Amino acid sequence: MERNQMRRQLALMRQSFFDQGFLDEQFIQLEELQDDANPNFVEEVVTLYYRDSSRLILNIDQALERNPLDFNKLDNYMHQFKGSSTSIGAKKVKAECTQFREYCKAGNSEGCMRTFQQLKKEYAILKRKLEAFFQQARQAGPLETACRSRN
Amino acid sequence: MGMSGGSAEGNDKSEGQSFSCKNKLTALVVDNGGVCRVIQTALLRSYGVETEAVETGEAEVELIASGATFNLIIIEMLLPVLNGPETARQIRTMGAQSMILGITAFFDERDQQEFLAAGADEFIEKPLSPEVVIPIIRELHN
Repeated sequence: MERNQMRRQLALMRQSFFDQGFLDEQFIQLEELQDDANPNFVEEVVTLYYRDSSRLILNIDQALERNPLDFNKLDNYMHQFKGSSTSIGAKKVKAECTQFREYCKAGNSEGCMRTFQQLKKEYAILKRKLEAFFQQARQAGPLETACRSRN
Repeated sequence: MGMSGGSAEGNDKSEGQSFSCKNKLTALVVDNGGVCRVIQTALLRSYGVETEAVETGEAEVELIASGATFNLIIIEMLLPVLNGPETARQIRTMGAQSMILGITAFFDERDQQEFLAAGADEFIEKPLSPEVVIPIIRELHN
C-alpha cells in the first residue's frame, strides 16, 4: 500500500481512538514526549503498561476468588492499575477502574466482579487496537515533524 | 509520530527549557508503578529538569540520607511499606527543603490532608501534566 495512503489510514485510526472514547488527552501528552531521541516512546510505554498491568490483573483475579473478599487489597491493586491506565490515556479502562473502586468502598463483591470483567474486556479491546496501530505505524515508517491534529 | 506544532501553554517546551540554561532544576520521582515512573520522568526531562526515579519510599529516604538534594520530589500516595505521607514526613524530619508534590490515582480529601500534614506542598490526582509542571518550574526558578 502506498505510504501516504497508509499514513492517512493511520491518522484515521488514531482519530477513531479518541472519537470512540478509547483514549483521552493524556495519550497526546505521550505523543508529545516522543522525539528523535525517543522515537518509539509511545509504543514502549504502552508495551510496558500491558506488561506491568497483566500482573496486576492476575493479582486482582486471584484476589477476587477469595471468600470473603479483601476489599482493602483489591483497592490497593486497583489504585496502581488506575494510575498507570490514566497515565497512558486509557479512558474506558480508567472509567472501569473508578467504578470498581466505588464497589470496593461499598463492599459490593458482585459489583467488583462484574466491573472487573468489563474492565478486562475494555483493556483487551484497547490492546488489540493499539497493537494494530503500532504495527501499521511501523509499516508506514517515520513521519517528518509535522502538525498533528489534536483532540 | 512527530512533535505537534502549536504553542498552547500546556505543550510549549520552550518556556521550561529557557530556564534550564540558568539554573538546572532537579527532581526525584517516587512511584512503585513503572509506567508512571517512566512517564513522569520523561515529562520533567522534556522541560529540562534533571530527573531521577526510585520505586519505594525507603529508596527515597536512603537517597536523601546520603546527601542527595532535589528541587522537586513527586511522591505517589500508595507506596508499599513506607507510604507517601510517611516518606514525606521522614525526609522533612531529615531537613529536606524540596518542594514535595503528592500524587495519587484516586483523589481523596483525607489523603490530601494526610499528605499536606506530613509536609507535602501540593497533592494532585494523576496524570502529571504540563499544566501542573510548568507553574511548578516557574515557582522553583523564582
